[in-house]
Amino acid sequence: MTAGRRRILVIEDDRETAEQLVDSLVTSGYEVDLAVDGNDGLRRGRSGEYAVMTIDRMLPGIDGVAIIQRLRQDGIVTPALIVSALGEIDDRVRGLRAGGDDYLVKPFAFAELLARIEALARRSDTVVKETVLRVGDLKLDLVSRTVTRNGREIELLPREFQVLEYLVRNEGRVVPRAMLLQDVWDLCFDPTTNIIDVYVGRVRRKVDGQQAYPLIHTVRGVGFSVRAPC
Amino acid sequence: MSVLLAKTFRSSTLKLALIWIGIFGAVVVALLGYIYLSTSSYVRRRADQTITAELTSLQKIYASAGRSGLVATIAQRSAEEGRVYLLADASFAPLAGNLEVWPSGLKGSDGWGNFDAREWRPSAGNRPLLRATFETLPDGSHLLVGKDIEDVDEFVKQIKTALALSILLIFVLAGVATFSVTRRTVGRIEAINATSRAIMQSGLGERIPLHGTRDEWDQLAANLNSMLERIEGLMGEVKQVTDNVAHDLRTPLARIRGRLEKAYHSRQDGDYGSSLIGDTLADLDGVLRMFSSLMRISQIETTDRTAAFRTVDLAEIAREVVELFDAAAEDKGSSLNIVAERRVLVTGDKDLLFDTVANLVDNAIKHGREAGHVTVEVAQNDGGAQISVADDGPGIPSDEHQHVFKRFYRLERNRLTPGNGLGLSLVGAVARLHGARIEMLDNAPGLNVRVWFPLPARSDFEPGKEKGRLEI
Repeated sequence: MTAGRRRILVIEDDRETAEQLVDSLVTSGYEVDLAVDGNDGLRRGRSGEYAVMTIDRMLPGIDGVAIIQRLRQDGIVTPALIVSALGEIDDRVRGLRAGGDDYLVKPFAFAELLARIEALARRSDTVVKETVLRVGDLKLDLVSRTVTRNGREIELLPREFQVLEYLVRNEGRVVPRAMLLQDVWDLCFDPTTNIIDVYVGRVRRKVDGQQAYPLIHTVRGVGFSVRAPC
Repeated sequence: MSVLLAKTFRSSTLKLALIWIGIFGAVVVALLGYIYLSTSSYVRRRADQTITAELTSLQKIYASAGRSGLVATIAQRSAEEGRVYLLADASFAPLAGNLEVWPSGLKGSDGWGNFDAREWRPSAGNRPLLRATFETLPDGSHLLVGKDIEDVDEFVKQIKTALALSILLIFVLAGVATFSVTRRTVGRIEAINATSRAIMQSGLGERIPLHGTRDEWDQLAANLNSMLERIEGLMGEVKQVTDNVAHDLRTPLARIRGRLEKAYHSRQDGDYGSSLIGDTLADLDGVLRMFSSLMRISQIETTDRTAAFRTVDLAEIAREVVELFDAAAEDKGSSLNIVAERRVLVTGDKDLLFDTVANLVDNAIKHGREAGHVTVEVAQNDGGAQISVADDGPGIPSDEHQHVFKRFYRLERNRLTPGNGLGLSLVGAVARLHGARIEMLDNAPGLNVRVWFPLPARSDFEPGKEKGRLEI
């Protein structure tokens, strides 16, 4: 991991939001630079030393998406997370996900922001081609697509296996519902129903039912997290 | 009525029509004038040719039979009706023929003339107009041959009258037609104007009267009326939504406020504090989710997203939704089944269609009965594609069917179940965006919601333009 791996550029003009952002990022062990307007953001962004940058959609005088475009023109590939106020999710912003960047709608849970920044920061890390994933006494065999816990096999549907695999790969991190829907189901929307909770609930019953300790945890208002007891 | 008359005269239609009447009128007058001139000159020329032929034949007789032969022939032919002959000597004193005097106007070198026979022949009766010409014979005498041209003249006069009358008729008819068409147009436009003014003054209740003729005016009026209908409906919804937002916001905000107040007055902390914060966050999330849903619906309704439409497989979407909701159905002890053809293609937005089907299935499970049956059917027929979601719960009374798509509308009995009354509004908005029709049928018992997508599924689909997936 290079020095830039944990450095984040925050471009945000609202002081209180910026403070909260910087605060929670620093608490999570990131080094944070703050730019309070578009020009400052562009200047800092051009240095290209950052793992991820978060950009407010509506900056005074400039559109956040335009900043990303200009940086891309200059050859800066730092992944960006656009933070947008509700109601302006147009196709340009929606298109960010296809382009390797991401967006988040205000107001958001900081846990979700962190999860998305983690995901973006990891993007360029080398993906280790494991064939077996383990958390506590849970074992996922990615080749035979089987799950065992404490040596006993657990029957999962293919999609349930995908959900569990995704959660286990993000072990210790919070996985927001929308990210799960996006990456497992390839759907880009916040469901208007609580269906993801119900679905993960069933996976949890199969995985955690009658076991020594729970592995899948619900993070209220945000999503889920897989972790073994310390 | 006089206002209408004044407006008729100011109308641009009238002005334009008058200009065209002027242009067409000038062309018609020129054309008919030409017809008149060429016809009259033609019949006159024919009369002259007859006279010339007669004169030539008499000259031949004079050449062959001499003067006495000519006099005999003239005497013989003078008996014929409408013919005029006169042989006179060098000083124009009559020698033979049926004219008593040599016409005074016919002595020069230009040998044609018209004259009234009554001047010298009272017996000429009522057909007095003659046309004649003469030649001077080799012995110095003058031979006049003429013809009664009363019928030719009559014919030309009749043509003249007919043409003049037709010009008059054309102008009168065109004038009347222009006036009545303009007046009708102005009248229909005035009806629309009057309705618009009434709407601006008193509200959206007014409608433009239809004449029942199904013509373009009725179509325009009908279209404007249905536009007004929609605007009125939207205005009503806006008001209802505002009321409902206020209500649905107050409830969680009141809960939050109460909780915070209680926390402020008590000195407890630890577990109590964290559960309070958790509950408050959950309530706030509910409020935010409600706002997201509202924004999402209004965005679907106001932005044209059809450009981003792709060919998507409705059957595949339905299968994924059913798989996703299987757990929720299981929780309620219900069964969730799908009957779908292998591929049912529609043109649309995958995310929106997924959310729509998910909402329908969610409703069917939530509002169906405990341990009930929910069936999703996807089928394609020649008219289009359709998906139906049926449950065997209490259903929706048919008089409520039209209301359930309104924002925040909830059946009385569902007030206590979780939800914000926005699910079917989203379904409605997505259906409208896709040009799809929603039917609510009685499943006896239960409800069957059917969404019908008309053909065609667009064929210009580019497979490479699907959304990218994140690599993990």
